[in-house]
Amino acid sequence: MSAISLDRVTKRFGTHVAVNDLSLEVPEGSIYGFIGPNGSGKTTTIRMIMHILLPDSGRIRVLGRDDTRAARDDIGFLPEERGLYKKMQVRQLLRYYGMLKGRDRKTLDPVIDEWLARLGLAVWADKKIDTLSKGMAQKVQFISSIVTRPRLVILDEPFSGLDPVNAQSLKDAVLELRRQGVTVVFSTHDMSTAERLCDRIFMIYRGNKVLDGTLEEVQSRYGHDTVRVRVPGGAAALARFSGIDSINDFGNYQDLRLSGDPQQLLQELVRAGDVQHFEVTKPSLHDIFVRIANPAAEEAAEQAEVSA
Amino acid sequence: MNRVFTVAQMEFLQLVRTKAFLIGILMMPVLMALAIGFQVYAARHTDTEVRTFAVIDHSGTVYDALAAAAAAHNTGKGEGEAQTGPHFVPSRVDAVGGSLDTVKLDLSDRVRSDDLFAFIEIPAGIIDGSGDAGAIRYYTGTPSYEPLPDWIRDVANREIARQRFTNSGIDPALVTKLNARVPVSSYGLVDRQLDGSVGEARETDAIATFVMPFVFLFLMFMSVMTGAQHLLNAIVEEKMSKISEVLVGSIEPFKLLMGKLLGVTAVSFLLASIYFAGGIFAIVQSGRFDLLRLDLFAWFFLFLLCAVLMYGSIFLALGSACSDLKDAQSMMQPAILLIMLPYLASFAVIRAPDSSLATGLSLVPTVTPFIMMMRLAMPPGPPLWQVLLSVGIVLVTTTFLVWAAGRIFRVGILMQGKAPNLPEVLRWIRA
Repeated sequence: MSAISLDRVTKRFGTHVAVNDLSLEVPEGSIYGFIGPNGSGKTTTIRMIMHILLPDSGRIRVLGRDDTRAARDDIGFLPEERGLYKKMQVRQLLRYYGMLKGRDRKTLDPVIDEWLARLGLAVWADKKIDTLSKGMAQKVQFISSIVTRPRLVILDEPFSGLDPVNAQSLKDAVLELRRQGVTVVFSTHDMSTAERLCDRIFMIYRGNKVLDGTLEEVQSRYGHDTVRVRVPGGAAALARFSGIDSINDFGNYQDLRLSGDPQQLLQELVRAGDVQHFEVTKPSLHDIFVRIANPAAEEAAEQAEVSA
Repeated sequence: MNRVFTVAQMEFLQLVRTKAFLIGILMMPVLMALAIGFQVYAARHTDTEVRTFAVIDHSGTVYDALAAAAAAHNTGKGEGEAQTGPHFVPSRVDAVGGSLDTVKLDLSDRVRSDDLFAFIEIPAGIIDGSGDAGAIRYYTGTPSYEPLPDWIRDVANREIARQRFTNSGIDPALVTKLNARVPVSSYGLVDRQLDGSVGEARETDAIATFVMPFVFLFLMFMSVMTGAQHLLNAIVEEKMSKISEVLVGSIEPFKLLMGKLLGVTAVSFLLASIYFAGGIFAIVQSGRFDLLRLDLFAWFFLFLLCAVLMYGSIFLALGSACSDLKDAQSMMQPAILLIMLPYLASFAVIRAPDSSLATGLSLVPTVTPFIMMMRLAMPPGPPLWQVLLSVGIVLVTTTFLVWAAGRIFRVGILMQGKAPNLPEVLRWIRA
């Protein structure tokens, strides 16, 4: 069964089409990554799943229910921008958010204690929110979305702005949730996190679904035309070779997208001098993202829209 | 329904725990006492100057009386620290030397250089009405200062009248006796007692007729404003820190709105009850049990409920349409105006509680809770049909406003950026 099922969902704001004819199935127990540039429709999609916005057309089923409002009590939700009452104590706030979803104190308190301890916040339980650091507040916000022991958790940008240690503890928490059988949907701008954490990836661009599938499916669709090289002279030295469409310069190495044959390029490089590293790789999610959402594509899309 | 109470309870605790609330409760009586005390003090102590003025007395008979009266006046106002009013010091100037114009020019220059405060000119024929009998002329550089000319008018008129009577052969003392003014004392109406006898009417007093209506008016204001203002701030804070999205992801916007309204209503009731408890204590202490009218309390809480819900909805709707406190402040001004209207009208209402203005105003729903409450607190009180009609109108309006606020709230709470204009807000209501 699907935890979330969107069937040809469209949402307009005035003349602007925020989400266009979107269909999506999120299988239960999976970790699903939502990616896409700012303003492409991620948050609108999430808000429709949360029944904060209603679609203009199409059907949404969440946790097997057509009335997504009824499902809401089984969904944990972490909105994109953090919302915590500054003057409230941590435990009070977590209780309040849980009670708004119809739980009582007795069922909430053990969960609150368990997660505060797991994320190293136990001593902060009776402190006010505005005494917490940003990272701690973000962890509290995360806990607030799961105190109800939800079956589905929707996290909008859960890792943004966190230091590596805090980010790792939240990633561990997400994996722990999956072990417990919880479906996790999260949106992110961090492609490497999406690559490592997600079972499936969904990309929305200008309201349209442009990617949907496992990482392998997505990568194979974009071919094996990527080569990672390391040569003396770096990106500048590569400019004179033919068959290179674009160079993504990481300084110590360069990712090349080829229109020609990788073997031919290797021969040419060897002829030219010392090759320190040469690897035919799959395009990274980052590359795929940029390829879809780069400015040239944007122009093309605009033209397509005009001609349509 | 449980979640509405969860929100209400949280809103109640948040508001009651703020320092502002506690300080508000404690400080309000202190501030009011200070304000009254200051006014009393200011009225007595602001003007303790010595006002010297020159007198050109063409009649030659009025100055001595002015000087004597001034001496008596100054003694009455006390000296030094204990002085409670201005001292008036006249000095006689004779226009015999130069021309009258030169004398007046000279005196004017002395006023300009602060050597004198003013000077007056008393015409020669002021007593017998002959010649230039006209007016006493008062010359000053400070025309807004009235105590001195007022005092001169009183004293001069008394003296002139005395001289006129004397000249006509009438004893001024007799005139004073015959002219003695008779007071009018004000009573309530007479009732037939249970034993059949006719009871005695009670003398009306300022506390029952003027203080009580204003007490109810201010209490209503304070209770409503505490709640409404908190709602506006809270909702804008929730929007600014993006809490609203968490909230509406868990609970229907309308339930959220109802919870918030319920919470501040409870706070308003608590606030009013605390003050009533204080008031009842004062009444019991002073033995003025006639001021204790339970029907008024019942009306008060009914109107308070409506007022908090009405203004609460308005402020919530406003807050949900704003993205930051600056927006909120400018949006609040019309709402504040709305709430000021009953206050401005209250003075006209208390003078004539049965005027058509008062009746009309007490049927305007946003004004009703305040003005109808005032009229109820004033004898004889409005006719019952007016009270019932106003309650009906207020209930209908309140229901409508809560509903409309719910519609605006639903859209506004997720809006970011530019504050909407009125047509947009109206579209939200209809959508």
